[in-house]
Amino acid sequence: MAYPYRHEQETVVLTRGFGDPRTRTLEGWRALGGYNALAKVLEMAPNDVIEVVKASGLRGRGGAGFPTGVKWSFMPKDDSKQPHYLLINADESEPGAFKDRELLRWTPHQVIEGALIGAHAIRARHVYIYMRGEFFEPAQIMARAIEEIYQANLAGRDILGSGVDIDVTLHLGAGAYICGEETALMNSLEGRRGQPRIKPPFPAVMGAFGKPTTINNVETVAAVPHIIVNGADWYRSFGTDKSPGTKLFNVSGHVVRRGNYELPLGFPMKEFLYDVCGGIRDGRQLKAVIPGGSSVPILTAAECEELALDYESVAAAGSMLGTASVIVMDDRTNIVKQVRRMVEFYAHESCGQCTPCREGTEWLAKILRRIEAGQGTEEDLDTLLDLGANMTGTTICVLSDSAAAPVASSIEKFRDDYLALLGRAPEAPALAAAH
Amino acid sequence: MANVNEGGTAADMVTCTIDGVEVSVPKGTRIIEAAEGIGLGIAHYCYHPALSAPAMCRMCLVEVEGAPKLAPACVTTVGDGQVINTESERALKAREGTLEFYLFNHPLDCPICDKSGECKLQDYVHSEGRAHGRSLEAKRVLGQDDFGGDILYDGDRCIMCTRCVRFMREIGGEDALCVVQRGHRSVIDTFYDEGVGENLWAGNIVDICPVGALLSKDFLHKARVWDLDRTPSVCASCSQGCNIYLDGRDNAVDRLRPRQNTEVNSYWMCDYGRYNYEWLNRQPRLESPLVGGTESAWQAAVISLVERLKALPSGTRVRVVGSAVLGNEDNGLLARLAEVVGDGETVFRSARAADEEPCPGFPVLRRRRELAANVEGLKLMGFSRVGDDEGRGGLEASSGDVVIVLGDDLADLPEDFGRGAELFVHLATHASAAAAGADYVLPVTLYAEQEGTFTNADGRVQRFWPGLQPPAMARPAWQVLGVLLAGLGDGAAPADAANAFLRVAQIHDAFAGLSYENIGARGALVNELVRLGAGAGEEG
Amino acid sequence: MSSRADAPERTPLQGGNEGWAGERGEFESLSESDVRGSGYVGKRPPEGGAAGAACSYPFQVAERDPDAPLFEGPYRERLEKILSRYPETRGALLPVLSLAQEIRGHVSPATMDEVARVLKLEPATVRGVATFYTMYNKRPVGSYLVQVCTNVACNLCGADDVMEAFLAAVDGAAGDTSADGNFTVIEAECLGACGFPTAVQVNERYFENVRPEDVPAIIERLRAERAANGKEG
Repeated sequence: MAYPYRHEQETVVLTRGFGDPRTRTLEGWRALGGYNALAKVLEMAPNDVIEVVKASGLRGRGGAGFPTGVKWSFMPKDDSKQPHYLLINADESEPGAFKDRELLRWTPHQVIEGALIGAHAIRARHVYIYMRGEFFEPAQIMARAIEEIYQANLAGRDILGSGVDIDVTLHLGAGAYICGEETALMNSLEGRRGQPRIKPPFPAVMGAFGKPTTINNVETVAAVPHIIVNGADWYRSFGTDKSPGTKLFNVSGHVVRRGNYELPLGFPMKEFLYDVCGGIRDGRQLKAVIPGGSSVPILTAAECEELALDYESVAAAGSMLGTASVIVMDDRTNIVKQVRRMVEFYAHESCGQCTPCREGTEWLAKILRRIEAGQGTEEDLDTLLDLGANMTGTTICVLSDSAAAPVASSIEKFRDDYLALLGRAPEAPALAAAH
Repeated sequence: MANVNEGGTAADMVTCTIDGVEVSVPKGTRIIEAAEGIGLGIAHYCYHPALSAPAMCRMCLVEVEGAPKLAPACVTTVGDGQVINTESERALKAREGTLEFYLFNHPLDCPICDKSGECKLQDYVHSEGRAHGRSLEAKRVLGQDDFGGDILYDGDRCIMCTRCVRFMREIGGEDALCVVQRGHRSVIDTFYDEGVGENLWAGNIVDICPVGALLSKDFLHKARVWDLDRTPSVCASCSQGCNIYLDGRDNAVDRLRPRQNTEVNSYWMCDYGRYNYEWLNRQPRLESPLVGGTESAWQAAVISLVERLKALPSGTRVRVVGSAVLGNEDNGLLARLAEVVGDGETVFRSARAADEEPCPGFPVLRRRRELAANVEGLKLMGFSRVGDDEGRGGLEASSGDVVIVLGDDLADLPEDFGRGAELFVHLATHASAAAAGADYVLPVTLYAEQEGTFTNADGRVQRFWPGLQPPAMARPAWQVLGVLLAGLGDGAAPADAANAFLRVAQIHDAFAGLSYENIGARGALVNELVRLGAGAGEEG
Repeated sequence: MSSRADAPERTPLQGGNEGWAGERGEFESLSESDVRGSGYVGKRPPEGGAAGAACSYPFQVAERDPDAPLFEGPYRERLEKILSRYPETRGALLPVLSLAQEIRGHVSPATMDEVARVLKLEPATVRGVATFYTMYNKRPVGSYLVQVCTNVACNLCGADDVMEAFLAAVDGAAGDTSADGNFTVIEAECLGACGFPTAVQVNERYFENVRPEDVPAIIERLRAERAANGKEG
């Protein structure tokens, strides 16, 4: 829904209650059937919960799309020797992504319920919700929700008399995009610099505080209560075979109706842009679309003609669905400027461990600034591509690859935008007026 | 097929191929270690065998057949049957690319940088980097800083390998250094004005810094490293016996650096020993034998002294003073001379600290209480300690008929010391006021000017080699004493230090069975039972 | 709910965009409190409330005292609650640094040293962590830290102009504190409100759908709140 209104094409599962302030209260969530799933799960064996989620085909919504049930099954089946942890990744910082914030501020209990179910499934007694520091308002809402669940015996000792203990702690970050990377998130939770760790060891073996850990995205766990209540087959009735379920598509940029739309995976991109989102603003033409947040390759308007919005199809088109954060650019857009801004973002957020990223992101940014100012050469384009290649696949995490992706895809597909700026001191008038 | 590690059952071993060479290693061995075992050094910065491995410099990426991504050799364990290529096209491009990223901001300071000549950035770029830089951008400036103590930091040269940060935490025992900021703005720093000067092990971070980002103030702009002679030796500042290199030129020591010995000091040495080398350069030296205060040739002096010694009546009391910064050979033959000439005591004086300071990350290594290298050797050879913890006192003037002093500078004693003695001989490196009235003053070499051995506090005998040229007329003390003994009819004079050691080993059971061959460059332990029986090894 | 396939261009509300909602469309009934959730949250107790919520207080607030003692009174109780949530003391470092900034407004070397002593860490360790994260102010900032997102989604919709408008309204350069001490304006990275460009974070609140013409009203509102002793709406 382009909050606060909803398009008739939407499949309302996670977004039910968006825009209604009562939904965020425990009472309001219960009125929508909330915490029935938790009560049911507490009567189930953890392995059985994992099987249901596996059968549903739910894939992680944080960008990687890894099957959630499979991820949960990596955890040891016995927590008697060491504690397990479930971490909820609420560090949403990917440019273009704003779906988790909506889930957190309108349906905190949906997220909590999914987390508690996940904790039981992986035999974790402590859930940490790692929320980015900037989300002060959703954090206050979540904090209140946590107070409510402790008061209602939905968290803490002997939940609903089941004998299961699960604690929930809301932990705020302090401004670092890289802490959305799961191993950096663990380091940050431990009170360290938010630097990604090398894998192996994998979190399910040695994670937060050295113990077996699972990290799940907010939108992922939000789907879990619905899967428990309605069954895996029900979940599979939406979406495609390889990408089942619904997804929050968060669309920004030059469309008439920006916002979050919950649609089944596999929804056609063209219908999404022109029907659901109302088309391009000001009667302009579509020029480019980033389908999954700034870290994925840019697509041209032509590439969007026949594209379906699911993980496989977007990958086949040479990009990635990622967080389904669709950034729409019309024909007035200065592509070089936007790519420069994105690369500057990565340079600002690089943790600095790995040399190709630490030096490369800044180098890319400096070249792009020079090109944008009219002082670039065609050789610079070759250099950008080669540097980007050296930054891909050579680092501990993929921030480096993410910085290279918009550069490489924009040079490949919008080379004319770059050529127009080469060797010209003042910006070309037509592009100067655009954003 | 190379078997890099002896031991381990077949079940514990895995076999891989590195650059075409098959190698078998214990399970859990990392690729970089397996490669090291077959003499193949994989380029690296952040990895160090004695520190944790963060795999962040990205230099050691190698291609593993079948794996989609290049693997960091410093943390990837060898898998059975793996085929590893460190020189594949992908690996070479990755290294070339990474080196180019290092040079993006690194200032081309080589002409003014102390590290030039022993710099790993120079070395790798020279062998595998791009021929020309492509960057047209201005380099970022982060500035220089004084980290306290002996350490200077140049943020612009820093390649952020974090070896120094991890060293201070894991070996030095305190989180004194940290990475500040993030991304391309990151630098290393201390906690504001607090420095690393209080930490006894900080000097090691200059050694392990791959580039010239960490510099020693002591060594700053002193010498170009390719002008330095490098000699394996042993530190003489305490009885730990850290293995070191004497680095010097123009016949002076410019710096000491640790030499790796896994049994003694790992890769490290303490700052107390590291910066205590100027005494080896102290001038002026004794240039000539003095007989009754008059310059003399060696032959005349020796002949004269032998006659005097022969003429002594039996039962002559002898007071012999040894030196804890001279070797087993020198002191051993001195003790023999005392025995041959008469009877009496063999003593030594040496400074001693209130306590020892262990290295937190490698506690075998500690700055010992005994502040000289060969106290243990002296004890094994029957010398007893006199004097105080400053190494002063304990020697009364003319307490014996014959006083023979080796090495001890007698700085606390009056000019008339020894005047009452029947015979006063001073074998020394520098002139001493207290020996103004000595019958014989014989110039000998510093330990750094000769071959020899020290015995450390744990009973390890370790060899050292000459890194300096002595003054023309100085001789190793074992040589002088050997000639005197020969003159007194006690065996032939040893022809070289190795034989001098064997002669001492014949006399003292502790050294039985040891020789320069089996001591080698790593040292060997003395006979433990003899050591304990001699009451040696007690810290005192 | 009906579909809005042909939604008209959003018309400004009287007085301009109120900055806390999306297109209001049919949701005329939503108040600022509804959207921000402030009615639901209420006033959070300084000693931390439920222990699981003790590590999540806003730490960019208008009221602060750089010389205040750190962990006394209710803050001491909150500190204890924070410490109880982590198996290792070090895990509490970020919430404790945040609490220190909540009290004092920024994280100075002396504050880092104090936090280090309380958590039995070395000061250099705390410095390394505090300087990694953008939200810990290393020096004092104005009563209102105005962070304007200029990242791609907002940039496409005029974020640079909004940034210029804020700088003009406070008559200062980015990063400087205005003469009256009220405002520091800086650029921010993506705030996670991309559907409502331009997103602007002011202390603990987001202002959304901000256009250059909305800026003067926002500044005036903030001045008025400051004058009323920092009572937030």
